[in-house]
Amino acid sequence: MTGAQILFLVCAGLILGSAVMVVTARNLMHAAFWLIAALFGVAVVYAILQAGFMAMIQVVIYIGAIAIMFIFADMLTRRDVRESRAQIGRNWPVAVLLGLLILAGLTALILAQPGVGRVAPALPSGLDPVAALGKALVSPDAYVLPFEVASVLLLSALVGAVYLAFLKKQ
Amino acid sequence: MSIPLSWYLLLSVALFCVGLFGVLSRRNAIAILLSVELMLNAVNINLVAFWRYLDPARMAGQAFAVIVFAVAAAEVAVGLALIIAVYRRRKTVVADEIDLMKW
Amino acid sequence: MNFVLPIFPEILLLALGVLILILDPFVKRDEARRPFLGWFTAAGLLVALTLSLLLARPAEPALVYGGMIRFDGLGFLFKMFFLFAAAVTALFFMDEEKLARRAEAYLLLVAATLGMSLMASAADLVMLYLSIETASIPLYVLAGFMKEDDKSIEAGFKYMLFGAMASAVLLYGFSLAYGFTGETGLYALALHFGDFNLLAAGVTFLVLAGLAFKVSAFPFHFWAPDVYQGAPTPVAGFLSTASKAAGFAVLMRLFTAVFPAVNADWSLILAILATLTMTVGNLIALAQKNVKRLLAYSSISHAGYALIGVVAFSQLGMTSVAFYLIAYVLTNLLAFGVVAIVGRVTGSDEFSAYNGLSRRNAPLALAMLVAFLSLAGMPPFVGFIAKFYVFLAAVNSNWVWLAFVGVLNSIVGLYYYLNVLKYVYLFRMEGEDEEKHPVPVSRPVAAAVVVLAVGILLLGTLFGPWFGFAEQAAATLF
Repeated sequence: MTGAQILFLVCAGLILGSAVMVVTARNLMHAAFWLIAALFGVAVVYAILQAGFMAMIQVVIYIGAIAIMFIFADMLTRRDVRESRAQIGRNWPVAVLLGLLILAGLTALILAQPGVGRVAPALPSGLDPVAALGKALVSPDAYVLPFEVASVLLLSALVGAVYLAFLKKQ
Repeated sequence: MSIPLSWYLLLSVALFCVGLFGVLSRRNAIAILLSVELMLNAVNINLVAFWRYLDPARMAGQAFAVIVFAVAAAEVAVGLALIIAVYRRRKTVVADEIDLMKW
Repeated sequence: MNFVLPIFPEILLLALGVLILILDPFVKRDEARRPFLGWFTAAGLLVALTLSLLLARPAEPALVYGGMIRFDGLGFLFKMFFLFAAAVTALFFMDEEKLARRAEAYLLLVAATLGMSLMASAADLVMLYLSIETASIPLYVLAGFMKEDDKSIEAGFKYMLFGAMASAVLLYGFSLAYGFTGETGLYALALHFGDFNLLAAGVTFLVLAGLAFKVSAFPFHFWAPDVYQGAPTPVAGFLSTASKAAGFAVLMRLFTAVFPAVNADWSLILAILATLTMTVGNLIALAQKNVKRLLAYSSISHAGYALIGVVAFSQLGMTSVAFYLIAYVLTNLLAFGVVAIVGRVTGSDEFSAYNGLSRRNAPLALAMLVAFLSLAGMPPFVGFIAKFYVFLAAVNSNWVWLAFVGVLNSIVGLYYYLNVLKYVYLFRMEGEDEEKHPVPVSRPVAAAVVVLAVGILLLGTLFGPWFGFAEQAAATLF
């Protein structure tokens, strides 16, 4: 067992443990903090995969923006995070069953694919993943169209969210 | 890099299914959205791992993951705005109590 | 390679959206200028439609932008109908107090239309996922646009929760498809799905679950009635037509491009889904007392009819789906338009609100008759031709039982559509003084209703050239 493997297993444990807490915690604020722990674990996994840029935007966007938005929303709807209420619906056995079925199915699917046991090839020498990603995102032969459309989506989401959440002063 | 690809994929599947369980069982709408975020993170683990293990010189996996980030941000912004708007009217964000119309 | 023509309609849509944002502050202060935004949006969409038809028609199908989209006839045909549906919807918006006065509503409508246009031509998993979300996220806001109305905001809320879940499942399927084939292009993926295997099964399962939500097919149809009932009526009309057609455009492309070989194994499952979608939609529709809910269940059953054409999986089958969707977009937009007018005047969508409508406003009642008979599949309306070709395609591909189920379902449908018309034409208002309760129709809405009703009759009688367009478009898939 190498150092990288141990680090990965620790991270996987952190991610899955936090994820289980996210879906079971009674207090929503706790759930949001557990989400941050899980997101941080995922960032470390990206780092292990040598995707430094992804690790960074995971921290900046997911933890810095998305998770914080959740915490604000928790506070704005505070009345409902009282810990006395059951947070899991009555149909949880169905959810467990469905989750396990899909888990089993997808695990079988993945393990049946050829080459899933392989280890990563070395990064080609001279490859700068950040520069390559940047070029891919603005190259007309690659991802410039999705890149531009994403900005349209973000703009319309911004307009929509501001409209919905805006409270006119009485 | 001595970690087999399957480890990442199994972590992703497990995370996806935990998220799916959360979506199906949580009653609070904010918690449902939190669980959706877990599912999207599972997808991104897949995408980045595939990028690394397939052909790191082709950026498809990472570019896909970047787009998923953007969509997730847009979705959460609109989702939370809707939840806050519902809360203003109904003073609750428990999904099964928001049932003026029968399901 | 020309980079403008393949996304010409989208460029015009984007320009229109930006203009709406710029104009908004100038229009806002002046009460009298308020209708301007609606006319501007509708006119802008029609200009985009005309210019695209004149300048940007596709020649040979070609992958452009690094394979992100395919510039072909099918995508183009759908784009033109999305632009048309959005223009009509903008006119309907002008009649709803809250929608009419907010530039945000028109901007979100344009953004959703842009997403749908890209859905129809996306040829890459990245583009496809992004365009589905670009179409959906503005629609979540539009469904909940009446934020002071409990039902509308509830509709937006439910639509958003189910939509977020469905797109996460769809996306997981995409990530596996990419990972185990190394490709994100739909046409490159096809090479790896040559024969039936576990991977194809798993991916198809996840993707189908996500798309079934978009087109509201069984078993992911349950959100539709609540969302359609609660959403502002013009938005519900747009959701049930353009949004659903966009989902079908994706289904058609996926099944012809990616899964052609596995289709033999999957068509039975699709056939069962089509049967259940039709039957469940129709049977629950029988029990409805609210016209918007009735139309919601009827739109579920129409997704089932359209699926029959996908099951047939022939060139005729795909042609019939494209034609069916054109017919359905026209018809259902008209049906929801009439419901919006009546709902605004009477304040109710219950059947009883329609008592004596034929005496209160005869032309409007006639428009409703046209829409509902076309939905029921009666000649000489376009709904009849559309159903006929779908069933014909099924029979030609040896799916006789499926066509038979479709015909049986149409009969059930006929019953509940006629039942509503009974309220319109036979029942009287309490007090029998319909003359004192006219149903006024504003100019923009009247224009939209006339265009749609004429379209339904025109396509129902002179369907040849239109069917030809659908045929040419479907041919570019194979």
